[in-house]
Amino acid sequence: MRDILSLFFAYAKSGLKSRFQYKVDAIVVIFAVFLREAGGIIAMYLALQKFGTVNGWSIDELLFLFSLIFITYGIFIVFFMALRDFPDWIKHGDFDRVMVRPRGVLTQLVLCGADWLAAFGHGTLGLLLLLVSANRVGIEWDVKTVLYYVMCVAGGVLIQGAVFLTFSAITFYVLETGSLKEIFYWNMRKFAIYPLSIYNKFIQAILLIVVPFAFVNYFPAQFFLRKPDMAQYPGWLMYITPAVGVAMYLLAYAFWRFSLRFYKSTGN
Amino acid sequence: MSRYIQFAVIRFKSKTAYRFDYFLGILNTLLSFVVYYSIYKALYSGQSYIDGVSFSMVTTSFLISLGLGSAFHKNEMFLQDKIKQGTIANELLKPVNFKLRMLFEDAGEGAFNVVFNFLPTAVIAALFAHLSTPSGALDLILCIASVMLGYIVLWQISFIVQSLSFWLFSVWGLVTIKNVLINIFAGAYIPMWFMPERIRSILHFTPFDSIYFMPVQLYLGQLNEMQVALGFAKQLVWIAVLYVIGEVCWRCGIKRLVVQGG
Repeated sequence: MRDILSLFFAYAKSGLKSRFQYKVDAIVVIFAVFLREAGGIIAMYLALQKFGTVNGWSIDELLFLFSLIFITYGIFIVFFMALRDFPDWIKHGDFDRVMVRPRGVLTQLVLCGADWLAAFGHGTLGLLLLLVSANRVGIEWDVKTVLYYVMCVAGGVLIQGAVFLTFSAITFYVLETGSLKEIFYWNMRKFAIYPLSIYNKFIQAILLIVVPFAFVNYFPAQFFLRKPDMAQYPGWLMYITPAVGVAMYLLAYAFWRFSLRFYKSTGN
Repeated sequence: MSRYIQFAVIRFKSKTAYRFDYFLGILNTLLSFVVYYSIYKALYSGQSYIDGVSFSMVTTSFLISLGLGSAFHKNEMFLQDKIKQGTIANELLKPVNFKLRMLFEDAGEGAFNVVFNFLPTAVIAALFAHLSTPSGALDLILCIASVMLGYIVLWQISFIVQSLSFWLFSVWGLVTIKNVLINIFAGAYIPMWFMPERIRSILHFTPFDSIYFMPVQLYLGQLNEMQVALGFAKQLVWIAVLYVIGEVCWRCGIKRLVVQGG
């Protein structure tokens, strides 16, 4: 454990240093990521000046819902950037380098790749949204709720980690998974930001079962807010985000272990 | 001129080489549309008009602005890459106007995307979303003309931001920020009718509502003759103003350009 922590900090130190080599540029990039992600939220805020609520959700409640997506992504990208960009690792032959080092393959991938600029951009947006909304939506913060909140964030990170681990494992067979990621992660994430209940049944089913983004933000937010649109789903869905995260990650990990044996170097 | 049109045609043809990207591109555009379609369906919650704006007007506005927005998406790191790699020196030696060539190549790509991305998306969207039909043949023609002018406005803004790469380490951040502002204030993320009045009155004095909202209004036949003339005049004025700014940036940039080796 100590060993892993020191590895992580060593990687983090060098990663931060290289990312912040051009300080002004780094800050502009962080701000740009922040604003790019906030764009839809700003538009929503402006629209709700006129409409008031969406499916019973006020703007503050929506901000709380949005915050979970960005906080989990901000943490996720500190650990899983290498898996996000995994096809490049294989194509450039970098993965061979990882395989001959005296640490676990996945351990190295998870520890070494951190997209710090994205992490700061998404992370600050998420925290800002949480700070703005948390008091106004009437959540009673005590030990139990804080603990469950932390578990939900961890679950959300693991769910997204599992999705990317699965894509990375598929990369061993097909080499290029850019379009899979585009369709099943980025496009689904566009949907996931807003309340699940506004979509038709087909899209809801995808967000529940195929790429279960609903457990990253919608159901945890429902646990804290109890909006009336929760009535159309079984109540226990609000309590299983941490379990979904762990289960998905273990499954993805098993698939990754199984697929690793099919790896062929591209010979660079 | 025919030389520049050739540049556009070549880019148009070269885009046809990537089959799988078509489908992915259409899916991307369509899903962005579905997100906003769903949000506004929930916001309207069964009402047919809000502030005199029907739901089909909203979906049409989203289809045109989001659809064209993604069709007109292009590589905005082009100029920066040319400068960083020093290949801009070779470009400047060629007997063509670099800026004009860039415009025509981008326009060729844009035209390709309109035909093979925007139109299929619109056809699929028409299957499930209640879209408005154009209010008349003349309106449709005016709309298309206005889309072209809107494209030039959009292109000029992009060129100005790109030309800052003569001075800056990287323009990626600024390009991204610019695109967010355009998406919000040109009406791609929120229909212009629902923009708070105070912001909308400011937007009249910016190039933003010349990009997508003018074509949307023409398509829906919402403007009288006077407003049509005024709208086109506004688009042309913005093209002229942005051209001058872009030209100044470009000339100053070229003057201080130093290419090492290459």
